[in-house]
Amino acid sequence: MSGCLAANSVEQETMSDNRYLFKRGQTWWVKVAVPRSLRQELGFDLRQSLKTQDIDEARQQRDIVLKEFRAQIATAKKQRDQGRACKAVAGEGFEIIAREDFSDVTYLLEVKAPLLAKAAKPGQFVIVISHDHGERIPLTIADFNVVRGTITLVIQAVGKSTREMQQICQVGTMLHSIVGPMGIPSHLGAQKVVCVAGGLGVAPVYPQLRAFKQSGAYVIGVIGFRNADLVFWREKFEKYCDELIICTDDGSVGVKGRVTLGLEMAMDKHADIDRVVAVGPPIMMKACAEATRPRGLETIVSMNPIVVDGTGMCGGCRVTVGDGIKFACVDGPEFDAHQVDFDDLISRLGRFRKDENEAMSVWKKAVGAV
Amino acid sequence: MAKKTIRNIPKDRTAIPTQDADVRAHNFLEVSLGYRQEDAAVECERCLLCPKPVCIDACPVNINIPAFIECISKQDFRAAYDVLTESTLLPAICGRVCPQEDQCEGVCTVGESLEPVAIGRLERWVGDKAIEEGWFNKPFIEPNGFRIGIVGSGPAGMACAADMAKAGCDVTVFEALHEAGGVLRYGIPEFRLPNHVLDAELENLKKLGVKIQCNTLVGRLFTIEEMLTEHGFDSVFIGSGAGYPSFMGIGGESLNGVLSANELLTRCNLMGATEFPKYDTPLGLGNKVAVIGAGNTAMDALRVSLRAGAENVYCIYRRSRSESPARLEEIEHADEEGVQFEWLTAPIEILNDGNGNVRAMRCQRMELGEPDASGRRRPIPIEGSEYEFEVDTVVYAIGTNANPIIGQTSKIALNKWGYIETDENLATSINGVYAGGDIVTGAATVILAMGAGRKAARGMKAYLGIRDSESVYESDETNGKNKLFGIDRSERTFARVHVA
Ligand SMILES: Cc1cc2nc3c(=O)[nH]c(=O)nc-3n(C[C@H](O)[C@H](O)[C@H](O)COP(=O)(O)OP(=O)(O)OC[C@H]3O[C@@H](n4cnc5c(N)ncnc54)[C@H](O)[C@@H]3O)c2cc1C
Ligand code: FES
Repeated sequence: MSGCLAANSVEQETMSDNRYLFKRGQTWWVKVAVPRSLRQELGFDLRQSLKTQDIDEARQQRDIVLKEFRAQIATAKKQRDQGRACKAVAGEGFEIIAREDFSDVTYLLEVKAPLLAKAAKPGQFVIVISHDHGERIPLTIADFNVVRGTITLVIQAVGKSTREMQQICQVGTMLHSIVGPMGIPSHLGAQKVVCVAGGLGVAPVYPQLRAFKQSGAYVIGVIGFRNADLVFWREKFEKYCDELIICTDDGSVGVKGRVTLGLEMAMDKHADIDRVVAVGPPIMMKACAEATRPRGLETIVSMNPIVVDGTGMCGGCRVTVGDGIKFACVDGPEFDAHQVDFDDLISRLGRFRKDENEAMSVWKKAVGAV
Repeated sequence: MAKKTIRNIPKDRTAIPTQDADVRAHNFLEVSLGYRQEDAAVECERCLLCPKPVCIDACPVNINIPAFIECISKQDFRAAYDVLTESTLLPAICGRVCPQEDQCEGVCTVGESLEPVAIGRLERWVGDKAIEEGWFNKPFIEPNGFRIGIVGSGPAGMACAADMAKAGCDVTVFEALHEAGGVLRYGIPEFRLPNHVLDAELENLKKLGVKIQCNTLVGRLFTIEEMLTEHGFDSVFIGSGAGYPSFMGIGGESLNGVLSANELLTRCNLMGATEFPKYDTPLGLGNKVAVIGAGNTAMDALRVSLRAGAENVYCIYRRSRSESPARLEEIEHADEEGVQFEWLTAPIEILNDGNGNVRAMRCQRMELGEPDASGRRRPIPIEGSEYEFEVDTVVYAIGTNANPIIGQTSKIALNKWGYIETDENLATSINGVYAGGDIVTGAATVILAMGAGRKAARGMKAYLGIRDSESVYESDETNGKNKLFGIDRSERTFARVHVA
């Protein structure tokens, strides 16, 4: 809706003499957008009725009111700049305090969010908005640190929004918003567990793997990469794994083959595995589910459908589990892999493919033009 | 002036200027432009100022309707606003979205022989006037040191926050989404309730000292119990709404192109999807849209679909028009704008185009049988009436269930449907925690949610031992016999008004 207002003002600006003016009912109003950084203090825009139906009178009045509005914005800016120093200390806002690029598509952001860091549990996710026209992007929490008061996100730049974040999210910048932790935390309580992660990012399984180890379980990690150059977080995984199997497509490090091969190796070696956890792209999770099904091994997967609000309010994240429909954001995101309908998930993930391509090409053009 | 009687007042209710149907079906600007002052001046003369007004009792928050209308007649608009704000926090909003035909206007004495007085339109006019003039009744607030946490910024949360702030408490509202307002923000579209009206009402809340903290998912970021212990809130109100959309469980519901009305409306209203790709959130709406259901949510989904460019928009409802739960005005508006109604029709399956998208819907015709428990005639399928109906988008607007997050994360007692259980003062099973609005009653209305927020505030004040002392409240002589929602009309919610 705010979008509509913005569009109107653009139209009006082209009729140059009616700039900042709009009509409500019969009466003329003046409206000025507030700079994004001041919206918390002043709201989206400043507006006032000019109490006249006459356009000429409205134009005169407008200039007076505009002057006041601009003064108001200038004052707020001054106050904000003075207040900024203490705000950072209080830990408000969501500042990006570290960034690491693992490859040209995978990057890590460490974000200051003390309350979130305290509340986060393995298996949960957050929703990030990077700017005020942005979409709500669900991201699994890849790590959290209560002492530092931060959470870590590992992001794959695959769509328009994540590519754009790759450009704008630098150390010292603020995320527009972040909310969470969302979803039901992972259920621990297994004795010997295999944690499988693959695809472009292996990070999302890390908090769970660590928690299993800390709960006293015997932990076997199976992580997959395309090749040796793309391997990251090896030491972090090694620290909490009793055994770590790295799989690469070309065999440049570890086992040559997909993560399912590593999973089979682990299952062949240990007869007493009581849980398998698989986190990654749907095709990989589906393959893991098929690998464990004949052995009747309890297998948990983390669903990653399209999400809007993440609070259970829209049902956009529905997944088919067994005979029923579940909302991944509040009933999951983790479900019994042998019950999940992966084909359904894969099909639903393609729901906005056309729009995604459009957004990407528009964005590329815009960025290229700058 | 001669005494007004049914014979000497204007016969027809004053028409409200509206955008033409064929124009407005393609824009998101408000449909009805609202009364002008001269319209209000005519319409208020239609009120007979009954000595025993029945409309007051029919209003869920007992607005003193004749009194505010009389103020309009006397051209004392500011006083009209004061009368309204004694009972309602959101006149500009309620004037737009209340089902007046079932409430005040439904019992209006004038309505027995003529059209009822357009109470809602008058209320809206006063509310809009107040926003335009910047009127605000800032009460004299004496801080009392109590801290109140409110979960959810919908009408229930807003009303409770306002009353607690007026009583001198330090109030913080926590909202899970990135913008405040609840259904008023993400659900009800711009053409029915413009954002600037909601913004103005939220602004008034802030003027009372209420802090609104968005992006805070209570239950997961901290629990209700932790609010009382770690976070030091003396009392908590839960108004988290009933947003958890239902589906029917028929075949084909997971196809692409099937979505809930909440998803459609959230994408448009909250995320700006109608302006994709300027806004990042896509809409993905097809050309032939069927909306299942005929309540307010369905009407909003239908009319948003039209505006977003769908060519054919169908309303599928298993009963008939007279059983439809939507506001009368919304159905009329939808009809005028070109929504096609398929009454007495129920879907039985959604069909796949072979690529995981919706191709068509299989439907069945219904007829009405005996009245059921709700008093409405029960729809019965007609044998052999099945037919296929070509659509590419199916929107579910058949109601919502309780949002489960608070229940998942707290020991609070729920009823068997997952709604929060409360006593008659809206106290929950946790000491000091109150709840109201859709999360207690199931999906209802804005005004009922607001009434519940105020009622809970009374319970919370009693729990905290805050007395409505003379210094904060002026006493009023009129007796408050009607306490339908626990709100005593004799209680003034503000005093020492600083007239701007
Ligand atoms: C599309 C639509 C149209 C409608 N039209 C009308 C109409 O014309 N007239 C009418 O009277 N009624 C209408 N209604 C019904 C009315 O809007 C609701 O009854 C009313 O808004 C309920 O208010 P509430 O405060 O209980 O909850 P809501 O308005 O639902 O607000 C709840 C808020 O709490 C937030 N929340 C939920 N969980 C948490 C959490 N764990 N932590 C923090 N925040 C949380 C939600 O994000 C939301 O913002 C309509 C409803 C819909 C969906
Ligand atoms: S994302 Fe909206 S309900 Fe899950």
